[in-house]
Amino acid sequence: MDQSEIDALLAGGGKSPKKPKAAAKAPEADPVPVPPPAPASAAHEEPHKDGSGHVISELDTVTSVTERESNKVMDQLDQISRLVSRQQQLITDMMRHEGAQSPGVQKAIHEVMSASKEIQDKVFEAMDLMQFQDITRQKLERIVHHLRQIHDYIVDLLGSGLKSDTERPSISHTIAQTGTTPDENKAHADAVIEAFKSQKKG
Amino acid sequence: MKILIVDDSSTMRRIIINTLSRIGYTDVVEGENGKSGLDKLGQGGVEMIITDWNMPEMDGLEFVKTVRGQNAAIPILMVTTNAAKEDIVEALQAGVNNYVVKPFTPETLKEKIESLLG
Repeated sequence: MDQSEIDALLAGGGKSPKKPKAAAKAPEADPVPVPPPAPASAAHEEPHKDGSGHVISELDTVTSVTERESNKVMDQLDQISRLVSRQQQLITDMMRHEGAQSPGVQKAIHEVMSASKEIQDKVFEAMDLMQFQDITRQKLERIVHHLRQIHDYIVDLLGSGLKSDTERPSISHTIAQTGTTPDENKAHADAVIEAFKSQKKG
Repeated sequence: MKILIVDDSSTMRRIIINTLSRIGYTDVVEGENGKSGLDKLGQGGVEMIITDWNMPEMDGLEFVKTVRGQNAAIPILMVTTNAAKEDIVEALQAGVNNYVVKPFTPETLKEKIESLLG
């Protein structure tokens, strides 16, 4: 069901739209001439019609859209962080106020300040977790790389068609193994660095 | 201290800038690949570089090699998803002083920066 059929269904209060007359079955006595199939080469003249180019382009779009949306999340987190800093400043001012010097009020203000610091820490933590966007983007780039290879292999095999566009010169070849837990490779990387430095000294 | 951050992901640049500001480094310039990193470096004043590896136009490894051809002393920290031993060794051979694998914690970035500047 395409969008025009959905729109017609909604406009008709749920009744199924009637098929357009042109789509109705033609009488057998008066057959409608069927156009001949397009030549095979015509498909190759438009690289995105074969599907692979379309998939690659869609994946590219996904990566740019997620980056844009991630930056919107970062903007919101920045905004929360600024508001919390402002709140902390107000609390500090309040603590110095003459009317807030009783022990009970001071204790309550300290508790509010402590909660405010916890919020700030959580905001920073959320910002750090946004690293997943870059890692996911690189994983998608790796998939696009494989798709291009398959596409170009098929073009070579058939002996006709257009090869895919030039891809990024540098992609991670080990991204499939990259996790999303912070510092899960730290010990390994540090050990390699230490071994390299010792070897250099020796 | 002016720090140059080279990464094609604007999200990642923001994360690094946020971490740096929390540990007291607020003078930052940004490049989105090796080429723009070299342009920013050419403008002067940069005392430390934090660079990604996988980037379009000019990747981080090429960038580090070019920088080392011009400046042997500037501290360079590579922050990348490439975690294979061969990658780390290749980066160190190219002239990287230290190496952080993504995703990282702010504590790790702080530790590496302080060890480079210490």
